[in-house]
Amino acid sequence: MASVGLAACGSSTTGTAPSKPDKVQIAAEGPFTGDQASIGAGALQAIKLAVNDFNKAGGVNGTQVQLLIWDDQHNAQTAQTLQSQGIADPTVLGIVGPMNSGVVLGSVQGLQAGTPPLPFVSESASNVKVTDSGWSVAHRVNARDDAQGPADGKFMIDQGAHKVYVMDAQSDYSTALADQTEKYLKDHSITTKRDSVKAGTKDFATIITKIQSFGADWVYFADEGPEAAPFVSQMKSHGLTIGQNIQFLGTDGEEDSSIITTSQGAYVGAYATNITADPAGVSGSAAAAYVTAFKAAYGADSVSKAGPFYGSAYEAAQTLLQAIKNSPVNNGKISRTDVISHLASDTFNTIFGSVKFNSKGDVTGGGIYVYQAKGTEMVVLKQVSG
Amino acid sequence: MGTFLQQLVNGLELGSLYALIALGYTLIYGILEMLNFAHGDVFMVGAFLAAGVAAVLVHNEVAAVPAGLAVAFMIVVAMGGAGFLGVGIERVAYRPLRNANRLAPLITAIGVSLFLESAVQVWVSPAPVLVPSHALVPQTLIHTGGIETPFTGLLLFVVAVALMIALDAFVFRTRFGSAMRATAQDREAATFMGIDVDRVIVVTFFLASALAGMGGVLFGLHYGIVDFFMGYLLGIKAFTAAVIGGIGNIRGAMVGGLLLGVLESLIGGFISTQFQDVFVFLGLILVLLVRPQGLFGQPLTDRA
Repeated sequence: MASVGLAACGSSTTGTAPSKPDKVQIAAEGPFTGDQASIGAGALQAIKLAVNDFNKAGGVNGTQVQLLIWDDQHNAQTAQTLQSQGIADPTVLGIVGPMNSGVVLGSVQGLQAGTPPLPFVSESASNVKVTDSGWSVAHRVNARDDAQGPADGKFMIDQGAHKVYVMDAQSDYSTALADQTEKYLKDHSITTKRDSVKAGTKDFATIITKIQSFGADWVYFADEGPEAAPFVSQMKSHGLTIGQNIQFLGTDGEEDSSIITTSQGAYVGAYATNITADPAGVSGSAAAAYVTAFKAAYGADSVSKAGPFYGSAYEAAQTLLQAIKNSPVNNGKISRTDVISHLASDTFNTIFGSVKFNSKGDVTGGGIYVYQAKGTEMVVLKQVSG
Repeated sequence: MGTFLQQLVNGLELGSLYALIALGYTLIYGILEMLNFAHGDVFMVGAFLAAGVAAVLVHNEVAAVPAGLAVAFMIVVAMGGAGFLGVGIERVAYRPLRNANRLAPLITAIGVSLFLESAVQVWVSPAPVLVPSHALVPQTLIHTGGIETPFTGLLLFVVAVALMIALDAFVFRTRFGSAMRATAQDREAATFMGIDVDRVIVVTFFLASALAGMGGVLFGLHYGIVDFFMGYLLGIKAFTAAVIGGIGNIRGAMVGGLLLGVLESLIGGFISTQFQDVFVFLGLILVLLVRPQGLFGQPLTDRA
């Protein structure tokens, strides 16, 4: 394939320099504003940084990558509209995102049906269906629900849980994850009660009364994040203090230190698991250098505000950009078909070490990390598995 | 039984918030026979004004002035700000269309609603904003006879009921209240009787919106958090409450709000949280099938 690219460029330029594509675009997609901006905004900062770093290092054979910003606001219909521009434009070679499982599942068929299909690398979509459905466009760097649910269940049991109140937020992501966790708990003879809240719920008094009459010692809440602060804040005002007479385990969106502030401290002591590593919490010089670069770009307090996915977003962008760079250039063009085959076959260097996608599009060995709210920060405790 | 009573209390607290906002829908419908779809967002703006005042007065969880004074400032700014916003909306979006097709002001109302949501999202904050309630109101948990409620929940209920009684007295006992009722009954006849109808409408919008502003203050103090989208769902619920009670009827809105809150709480508590809204709106349909005019009818408007 490389020789074809060289032959094509031989007519316009001299020498053996790699052929330069005319235009390379990728898109960042996620909930960058709206109720989930606390997840999306930090991821977008990371992707911008990744593209900048990649361009500084020479881009794709000298061509600077242009970043399109698709703010889907956690809405699959908005996502389809945004993606349709990219599907129609052959110089848009891939998407970093979408971030929400529900958005992926609501828009992936359009991406797959594009000619050629438009690949994506998600930094946070964890529903098993994202990669289990056989779509060649689907990739993700984060761990899956069927790894996270058992890991979450085991963590609570190890901490001494007896009665767990399991809640979801009525989304593709949270319902599937809560199902996995509840199943693990039941299989291990833990008494559970299942409940569900609508996204945007502010009044939790009814549910808190149910938690109290059930006599739960743990509350497990699979949620994208926005409901956590009012929930734990009302738990406290109704006499359920986290760390004292109740324990709380949240999921990715709740690995967010802003919840400590917006719940006026009620969240302190709560645990949350994340399906991606926090660069500030893992060992490795590349991750440490990234944290330094992130702070230099966005300010000293930016990392604590960046949400749970600022590491995986950079990682996802790195894999996509390297796959594009490895793809052949024919007459100044890179084909998305080649990007997809390179995503499938290549090994990528990232801030978390080398990464390779399996045949489904999942990374091998994606870890689950437990964090705890201490002071004003989410502090990483350890890596767990089910 | 204890759990039942507890859920009842939970429902009354949520319901009193619905009722406060429902009053605004009903007041404006009573006078103008129009649905002020932006009302839920006026409530949201009121909540943000209160949060803004709190942010200025509270630093590091300590109020710079006595807490009572800080809350008073929040109330004045939120009620006043929301009130004038309501008056402004009427002037800009509804008055020019007063004699137009009935659908026209409904469309502008939806426009105003979207405008307010987007404006707050873009200019103020796309993320939820904290109201430092711990520095402003006692965080005590009140126990009585096996029932527990946070102080702010009780505050919400007491203030809402007091405001409803005051509004009821204003409309039914004062001279201006008579003018309002006359305008509601027949706007033209009211004009012939020397009533300044425009002034009645402006005052009605101010009152309705100020009540929503107060709702915003109480919401912030009780839940400790506000966001730009909060008026949407609450607005729809409050509108439902107004319809259940009989839209246009003040006492109906109060009862409708409390009833809706209690229904939600009991259904969520004893049947299913997932099917909460299904049952609530099923209830609405049943009420309307049996009494299309709502529980209390429409004594303020018997036209149309």
